Amino acid sequence: MLNQTLEYIHANGHELLVALGQHVAVALIATLITIVIAIPLAIALMNHRRAGEFVLQVASIIQTIPSLAILGLLIPFVGIGTVPAIIALVLYAIMPVFQNTYAGLTNIDPLLIEAADAMGVSRRYKLLRVQLPLAAPMIISGIRIGVVMIIGTATLAALIGGGGLGTYILLGIQSNNNAALLIGAVLSAALALIASGLIKLLARVKLRHLLAGLAALVVVGGGAYATVALTAPRTETITIAGKMGGEPEILINLYQDLIAADQPHLKVVLKRNFGGTSFLFKALKAKQIDIYPEFTGTVLQSLVKHPKAISHDPTQAYQDGKAALAEQFGMTLLPPMAYQNGYGLTVTAQTAAQYHLKTIADLAAHPELRAGFDPDFYQQSDGYPGLQKAYHLAFTNVKTMEPSLRYQALAQGDLDVTDAYTTDPQIQKYHLVLLKDTQAFFPPYQGSPLMLTSFAKAHPQVVRSLNRLKGRISTQDMQRMNYQVTVEHQKAATVARRYLKTHHLLKED
Amino acid sequence: MIEFINITKQYTETAALQAVNLRVDSHELFVLVGPSGSGKTTLLKTVNRLVVPTSGQVLLDGVDVAAGNLQTLRRHIGYVLQSSALFPNMTVMQNAAVQLEALGWPKAKIRPRLEHLLRLVDLDPKLYADRRPAQLSGGEAQRVGIVRALAANPTLMLMDEPFSALDPVAKRQLQALILRLHQQLDTTILFVTHDMQEALRLADRMAVLHNGQLQQVGEPHAILARPANAFVADFFKDVSASERDLAQVLAAGFGVPRSGGGEPWAAGASIYDWAAALQANPTLVVQVAGRELRSGDLIGYLATLAKEAAHA
Repeated sequence: MLNQTLEYIHANGHELLVALGQHVAVALIATLITIVIAIPLAIALMNHRRAGEFVLQVASIIQTIPSLAILGLLIPFVGIGTVPAIIALVLYAIMPVFQNTYAGLTNIDPLLIEAADAMGVSRRYKLLRVQLPLAAPMIISGIRIGVVMIIGTATLAALIGGGGLGTYILLGIQSNNNAALLIGAVLSAALALIASGLIKLLARVKLRHLLAGLAALVVVGGGAYATVALTAPRTETITIAGKMGGEPEILINLYQDLIAADQPHLKVVLKRNFGGTSFLFKALKAKQIDIYPEFTGTVLQSLVKHPKAISHDPTQAYQDGKAALAEQFGMTLLPPMAYQNGYGLTVTAQTAAQYHLKTIADLAAHPELRAGFDPDFYQQSDGYPGLQKAYHLAFTNVKTMEPSLRYQALAQGDLDVTDAYTTDPQIQKYHLVLLKDTQAFFPPYQGSPLMLTSFAKAHPQVVRSLNRLKGRISTQDMQRMNYQVTVEHQKAATVARRYLKTHHLLKED
Repeated sequence: MIEFINITKQYTETAALQAVNLRVDSHELFVLVGPSGSGKTTLLKTVNRLVVPTSGQVLLDGVDVAAGNLQTLRRHIGYVLQSSALFPNMTVMQNAAVQLEALGWPKAKIRPRLEHLLRLVDLDPKLYADRRPAQLSGGEAQRVGIVRALAANPTLMLMDEPFSALDPVAKRQLQALILRLHQQLDTTILFVTHDMQEALRLADRMAVLHNGQLQQVGEPHAILARPANAFVADFFKDVSASERDLAQVLAAGFGVPRSGGGEPWAAGASIYDWAAALQANPTLVVQVAGRELRSGDLIGYLATLAKEAAHA
């Protein structure tokens, strides 16, 4: 475990640093905004008890909403990426900071307030010299609670393309990569502890020095940023994003290498693990990203309005998806690669040999085989119920089970047949056999680059570069690459580069 | 000069003050005394408008305190609270400077002024200027409280039970300090206490309050000698028994009209001091309020007290 983790750190050192930097930046910005909102609000309401209590109630209600739900609610208004992540974090952290500031200000010994009043000091003087300093310990502890919460919750930013350490936690959960999970979790916990300790230290510094330091930080930071922004060469940047997981990351690396081989002057930025389908699609519409790999089946099922039944012929499905995207969204779907990343049925090599199984149709003769399916697959009409009709399957023993467990159950002999994703690296890991879908029952899931038509027209050379993947990459190729990345933890960039080289795709036409 | 004209303070259920009329002369050390809940602190706070009366007027040197700017009014009145109420986040010097800063004094003038006042209340500025309130004893803290109140050289200082939380030794020291400061400075002092011993010791004149009503106003010995009603008599009963003064001896009918000679004594002087003086000089003749008292009068007075005690 430790070795694996160290290897992972070694292999992904730079990306980890970038994610850590993003995490710190998001947390810092959210903290500053929280402070700027919560403290003045508490000051404004300290003499209006009823309004103060009301705000306290509202803030605690916001806090009971799951952070994921807040992120979801915000997407229609502010899109995806860092901005909604910061807004959600601020909404969360306002509660502890406001509550502590309010309590600190309203629980000052009334005799001290009376003394200040009786001296005839101005309200400003009373606030700055008496009330805020006396409430400071409470305010500081509120900020500490808020910051720890922000750093913890910021891991969710990864879900909507906000980046940060959460990327590694999600990646770890999705691809069963404990090293990534551990690194993400430990780093964000360590960050929270360090931040909490730092605030404790800063609390001893005089307010005036603190403000001066903060101003200096802003000036230096702003200056550095401006210098970088002004001196950076103004090359055009193409942003390619990918969904969560190893396979999309391999694909976007392939895209990057292909584009760079033809147009080395273009700057290609990759946003890996950028969240789910709808985030990416919205980001593409909003021109926050330029290209992302999408599947024909997903296009027809979730993205476009498609009156006809989804064609089971891959070529027809691609043509339908391409036309609908062009018409409804002004997008271009380039020709797909060869491999199918869809549903399939799989058995162990031993079972296949024993029962002479090559196609799904062969299963109809063996109802005694024990089947175990993903719960969704078991229920959806394009899953087992439809399959049953199409191939006249009649398993007597069907279980539903957690997708991540089914391959292992198959390998251990607890099951004979299960559903699978066709490019799943576990198929290679456990030496499983995919049964052929001779009737083309499963909708085709072929991957290809998706972009706005305006982008495609403006960048014909990029389109040409990407089209080299047309009809390439077999299902086995993809399985192997996925295995190398998610099981062997090789870098996606290395795996992608190796594929392009062995298949001579980097040579000039 | 403070004039309370028909001051009534009505809270939803109870009346804290009922039609109080009172005049405090300039340069007086005037004590408001009464049991807790009598309204004495409420009355004090109507002067700097920490309490706004339901009806009535408070005039400060003839000007209604409600008329002008509130902060300006307060910046020219010293205020000493129960417990020192020093700001724990500031040093002694910063605490004492609050009112001067509010008045916009230049820094260069503030420090010498406060050092002078610290010495006046027997605190060495070198030792105390940079201490925090947490590092002060109760007595020291209240001395700083007094410096803070006197900083702007106010013509009026309000003191709201300032010594009630102190131990007896510190309390006597601070009472002595207040008497001394009152002699040295021109300041009018309005002092609230529920401690009748303290009231008798400090007051030039005092007002006895009970249930928001004024019971009696006068010099301490006069009130002790001729309580206006049963409440006042009862309130000072313990003190009357222990703290007898010459006025009471005269009031009991002792002494003969002045025939010249003798040592002039104040009517408020205690009979114990008189007894001590007689012990040193048995033939001492004391001259009080136009009458003469001798050792025989003391013995006679004590005999009447013994009879009173037997009857009680």
